[in-house]
Amino acid sequence: MSEGFSPERRPRRAAFVIAAGLAGLAALILVDAAGLKQDGGYAGVGPADVPRIVAYGLLGLAVMTVVSGLRGDLPRPPRQAPAPVLWILGGLVAQLALLHVVGFVISGALLFGMTARGFGQRPLWKAVAVGLVLSLVIYGVFDRLLKLNLPGGPLELLIFRG
Amino acid sequence: MKHAILGVAFAAALAVPAFAQDYTIMAPANPGGGWDGTARAMQEVLQAEGIAPSVEVVNVPGAGGTVGLAQFVADSAGDPTKLIVGGYVMVGAILTNASPVTLKDVTPIARLTGDTEAIVVPAASDIQTLEQLVEKMKADPGSVSWAGGSAGGTDHILVGLLAKAAGVDPTKINYVAFSGGGEAMAAILGNQVTAGVSSVGEFAEQVKAGTMRLLAVSSAERLPGIEAPTIKEAGFDVVVENWRMVAAAPGLTPEQVAKISGDIEKLNSSEGWTKMLADKGWTNTYLAGDAFAAQLDADIAATETVLRDIGLVK
Amino acid sequence: MESFSLLMQGLSTALDPVILLYALIGVTLGTAVGVLPGIGPALTVALLLPVTYGLDPAGSLIMFAGIYYGGMYGGSTTSILLNTPGESASIVTAIEGNQMARQGRGGPALATAAIGSFVAGLIATLLLAFLAPQVVKLALTLGPREYFALMVLAFVTVSATFGDSSLRGLTSLFIGLALACVGIDGLTGAARLTYGVPQLMDGIETTTLAVALFAIGEALAVAAIREPPDGMHRVRGSVKMTGEDWRRSWKAWLRGTFIGFPIGSMPAGGADVASFLSYAAERKLTKHPEEFGKGAIEGVAGPEAANNAAAAGTLVPLLTLGLPTTATAAIMLAGFQQFGLQPGPLLFVMNAELVWGLIASLLIANVMLVVLNLPLIGLWIKLLSIPRPWLYGGILLFATLGTIGVNASPVELGMLILFGVMGYGMRLYGYPVAPVVVGLILGPMAEQQLRRALAIAQGDWTTLVSTPVSATLLGISAVFLVVPMLMRLRGRGQVLSQVAGDAD
Repeated sequence: MSEGFSPERRPRRAAFVIAAGLAGLAALILVDAAGLKQDGGYAGVGPADVPRIVAYGLLGLAVMTVVSGLRGDLPRPPRQAPAPVLWILGGLVAQLALLHVVGFVISGALLFGMTARGFGQRPLWKAVAVGLVLSLVIYGVFDRLLKLNLPGGPLELLIFRG
Repeated sequence: MKHAILGVAFAAALAVPAFAQDYTIMAPANPGGGWDGTARAMQEVLQAEGIAPSVEVVNVPGAGGTVGLAQFVADSAGDPTKLIVGGYVMVGAILTNASPVTLKDVTPIARLTGDTEAIVVPAASDIQTLEQLVEKMKADPGSVSWAGGSAGGTDHILVGLLAKAAGVDPTKINYVAFSGGGEAMAAILGNQVTAGVSSVGEFAEQVKAGTMRLLAVSSAERLPGIEAPTIKEAGFDVVVENWRMVAAAPGLTPEQVAKISGDIEKLNSSEGWTKMLADKGWTNTYLAGDAFAAQLDADIAATETVLRDIGLVK
Repeated sequence: MESFSLLMQGLSTALDPVILLYALIGVTLGTAVGVLPGIGPALTVALLLPVTYGLDPAGSLIMFAGIYYGGMYGGSTTSILLNTPGESASIVTAIEGNQMARQGRGGPALATAAIGSFVAGLIATLLLAFLAPQVVKLALTLGPREYFALMVLAFVTVSATFGDSSLRGLTSLFIGLALACVGIDGLTGAARLTYGVPQLMDGIETTTLAVALFAIGEALAVAAIREPPDGMHRVRGSVKMTGEDWRRSWKAWLRGTFIGFPIGSMPAGGADVASFLSYAAERKLTKHPEEFGKGAIEGVAGPEAANNAAAAGTLVPLLTLGLPTTATAAIMLAGFQQFGLQPGPLLFVMNAELVWGLIASLLIANVMLVVLNLPLIGLWIKLLSIPRPWLYGGILLFATLGTIGVNASPVELGMLILFGVMGYGMRLYGYPVAPVVVGLILGPMAEQQLRRALAIAQGDWTTLVSTPVSATLLGISAVFLVVPMLMRLRGRGQVLSQVAGDAD
């Protein structure tokens, strides 16, 4: 992601990407605002007006981001290791996808295990096993004891309702 | 009756091991609101009276209850242990949000409680009666600012109905939506708005203390212990009740529905429930079966008309 | 002095050993659940309310008070140690508090938060006891136009204090404002930027955004560093506050209290707004401006005092008018009704004994909280010596637990991931994350109050400056906005390059 060794005050590509993102967000808002009722009632300020102001603000900031990018004003991130990031995101996605299928305990154990793996803990199965114990305890305390409703799956049924 | 219950229990024996069954009640709102309060009150009484051994409350907030409703229909079909709390606000929210899932997709069990709406003005206001307020609105609709709950909610619907009944264009009302009852009430107490609408219960203490003047209530008959005419008496044919109900999942067998209805009836006739309602200041408006189904249909039709008139539904 | 003797009477009943035990249980439970990110005091009280059911009124009142204050307090611990604010009112605590923790000064940060909460809770509860009727009368004179002016002031002061680059701070703020547009417009019911997704109708949940930007973004950023600096969170020095810490904290506690209490008492105020304003005030008044953003203790002491004072302030409209002005207050109301108390203008007259019992309970819960938590600080700090794989695995598990427990929809979890990635990206390029959450909170408040004020005045913009309070607040905002610009103009003569410029 970073451009390595380039000296200071060189134009920064990242700034242009950020500016494009801001402009894109502004465009989304403006398109949405165009589809809203323009009627502000007695206030005179309708549902589309404030989003429009925010969108113009974002456009202005996008321009200034380009200017500052040309001047090279943006911190340079240290070299990033992609693997740990992917492990953690994988854990989060796994939890999202599996939560309502296998329940809180197993999906939580996966999230815990994959995050720990991302931080260098090996082997993966051991990390998942620790996660399993932890999320079982959490489920027991919060769902069973405190009645905070957490999605259950086969494992929860087996252990707590069997 | 005993026979029927035994039969039901037998039929359900495969799914449920004991006579009494556990329930999970969905409150399609955040903790702290009316639906959450109703669900938690049911939870407490169902457990305390031994009607159900274990009751859980799940909050699924969002979009006037329609997010919870959609999830309930999708996840609970055919499950006799799942209940959902809902109410009049949901009828409006389904229409304004164009929700694909409606109350037709669940099995309504019973109406439990109801709140009558009240119209008040600040004590410092020179308006003494509902007629005077309506006259002012007729002369210049914009000059009467109404404080109430969310846009399209019961309070807004009441003002729309009143305007219509008085011959004022409902799209011209100056309704100022506040989030939560507290803020609207503060605006009325602080004399920031001309009039306010909310449930009678929320205003009761203020009216007693003389900081607000109660102009009219929205029930069909006068309420016991409250010295205010109904809107009808003032000559405007408007009756609104903000009711709360409990419904079961779609796709249940008649036996399963009978079992749930039986449990809810037991809840309703229990002493614990009576005491709970008294503590919370809710009115018992229990109505079950076909009578409730007919009432529900009538409410949905009426609400759709008024929301169109106000301009919230196209 | 009748109130005084009533208070003493309340205190004497509350000092019964059994009652004290209830207080201890309430405070412990409240803190334990309140510590979880995403589970704020409202849900804490809702979850634990049934625990108090069945106790006698005195017992349940005190337990209830313990849970309430405990839940309020719990949020700061994770903010400071793990950069994971538990609720919106402890977001600014994370800014300075976590920096302190990184320098090994987590102990003093937790201590100043605990003692600040205690001092603020004590003073604010006493103000509640003796001044509630007067305070509420003042609060009621404020309407939408005054609240709009207050939000403008919050915007101006807060946005001036974030980050080391005004361009990047403002960009963060505007991203928050853009996110705030999502959902049903409160005044007209129009759905904005929801694209037909029902879960987006109520807008983006503040806690979801905060947990994602702080906890998940932080975990990703830390994991991605190839060679982690050694002992990043290692405790250095004492866990106790030094004399210097005390000297710098006590004024901030008091200022936080006197900012928090009135704002909490306002029907449209709120603990989060109070904590933002307190942070801005500390940053303006400090003698150590160079430390801000790098672990200034005032930046923890002030906001933590402010949010607790605001929590007590919320009880003013609740007890005197029966107005629940926050979700937490609404649940408190349910708690009162549990034993037949109907808060309202007549409460102090009709149920004097119970009210004073409650106030006495709050004072005791407050003492209990500081007694319980100060010794526990040493234990909390140990959290940081957990090896990082387990620590961050646990943080993410608890962070998602809050979201799942409140709303287990895939949309909500998806947003958690999306904003988590955004938080990571923002950290890479030096964009501060707190202003995003500030924008999300203040944006809708400012917009709705503006439109309400204009609707009431039928579109007449002069209404915004038509009362002394709103005119003054807007005037102060204008001064804050214009003076720095003038100084810059005079100093360098180039506005654009300054606005666009970096601090380097």
